[in-house]
Amino acid sequence: MTAMHALPAHDQLALLRSILCAVNIGAIVLDGERRIVLWNEWMIRHSGLTQDKAVGADFFAVCPGLRGGRVDAAIQQALYNNFPSLLSQTLNKAPFALYASALAAARHERIQQAVEVTPIAVDGAPRHCLIQITDVSIAVAREKLLREQTMVLRSQTFSDGLTGIANRRHFDVAMEKEHRRAKRGGTPLSLLMIDIDHFKAYNDHYGHQKGDQCLIQVAAALAGMLKRPCDLMARYGGEEFAMILPETDVEQATLMAETIRARAHGLAIPHERSATDTRQVTVSIGIATQKVDAPVEIDALIGAADRALYQAKRAGRNRTAAQLP
Amino acid sequence: MSMFDLSELENDALVEIFNIGVGQAAASMSAIVHEAVRMSVPSISFIPRAEAARLLGGRDPAGPERICGVSQHYQGAFETEAILMFPEDKSLEIVRLMVGESVPLKELTEMEQEAMCEIGNIILNSCVGTLANIFQHELQGSLPQYHVGTSDEILTATGSGADTVVLMLHIDFLLEKHQIHGYVAFVLDISALHDLKGQINLYIARAMGQA
Repeated sequence: MTAMHALPAHDQLALLRSILCAVNIGAIVLDGERRIVLWNEWMIRHSGLTQDKAVGADFFAVCPGLRGGRVDAAIQQALYNNFPSLLSQTLNKAPFALYASALAAARHERIQQAVEVTPIAVDGAPRHCLIQITDVSIAVAREKLLREQTMVLRSQTFSDGLTGIANRRHFDVAMEKEHRRAKRGGTPLSLLMIDIDHFKAYNDHYGHQKGDQCLIQVAAALAGMLKRPCDLMARYGGEEFAMILPETDVEQATLMAETIRARAHGLAIPHERSATDTRQVTVSIGIATQKVDAPVEIDALIGAADRALYQAKRAGRNRTAAQLP
Repeated sequence: MSMFDLSELENDALVEIFNIGVGQAAASMSAIVHEAVRMSVPSISFIPRAEAARLLGGRDPAGPERICGVSQHYQGAFETEAILMFPEDKSLEIVRLMVGESVPLKELTEMEQEAMCEIGNIILNSCVGTLANIFQHELQGSLPQYHVGTSDEILTATGSGADTVVLMLHIDFLLEKHQIHGYVAFVLDISALHDLKGQINLYIARAMGQA
């Protein structure tokens, strides 16, 4: 222990207690039975629980939400194995119900926390443990900003030069991310493959500049239909577009595809050489949905959407079709 | 150089003990990410410190590879510095797989470093905890520290002298079909090495006696 020789023993103890209470981090001490022995000022301020409510009480009676989780495991490591544990904010989203202010509490916005649980040897008693909680909200906010700004920079290399919508690379990254998110969250994931009908004939007849304009117009109109930030439309290749629709089941995806098909038709872009009877630019759409209870590989989902697109083309174009992945 | 050798029996016992340890660590990590995390220790070896640095440094002619390490000091039945090490790009991969979110930056951010420390803390405590349980001795551990640099720099920063021996665990980490190879190094001086060997033999004798 650090030298505090100048003071008599009981004064030293009082001083230590005052220091623990005054430090600008959360400090909780539990005894071998996991009863709260110390609950410092910082904890009172941010938990709203006073000392008389906390001290002497069973820790899991005071913090019932923590039973069986990482904090519980860390306390066991400290008390029974004598090992300290670190709980990072990144992997454990704010385990303790602690708030910066009453306003934050009303909004249920917890302080972002880094937690350390260390064993404490006590003479003549079973081992105790110290739980230290540090407020890392500022660092978290700073990293969120860093991440967002990096994403903005990156998005510039992630967009298609002609149409301005997401490019193939962006599609691959987003697909990977959404595919994982769907598996983790147990949500459906739909993919639409959209192809402009008889586009080669359009290019041959009207020329490449008109062809480019057609692509730009169709891409902008269809991308504008996506309202949720997680939805993504990308230029997949030549005149083919892909749309990632997270948390969307096959019925919703079919409805969406039909609306998109109608929207493209509604643009009323003339197409003299279209073999369809409309003489307008139209699109065919293939739909594939990964169901919650039957996750598949990304390739299988893309393959199914491709097959569905081929089916829609073969059935006469300007229509949608769905295939199981 | 004469090396500290284990008999086949001792070697197998240690591999088994460490596989129990990393198995527990994998279960803890699965609980955090709600996804299957698998870990195994296919082999272990005792090597001199200098050789450990070379092994970890890779064979890149451009110079030694940058390594991310998480270290903890343990003492009790034996004393050791335990270090979890991954090549820097692999540590980015692990943390970002665990967090489920990719940040397109070349280095781990402060928060990601802390997450890496937690991963190291879980793995090292599980490995050493299993050893302690099997040896029926308690050990004390420090909180994890994050390091980045060449393997030689990390071994030096964690206070291992040139004459120490490293018990090197090869670790396979499997998450979402990504297989990542890493190492856990236990840096031991000669007396710690003998303590460890003594404990293994006590364990084997107990296991044989019960058989």
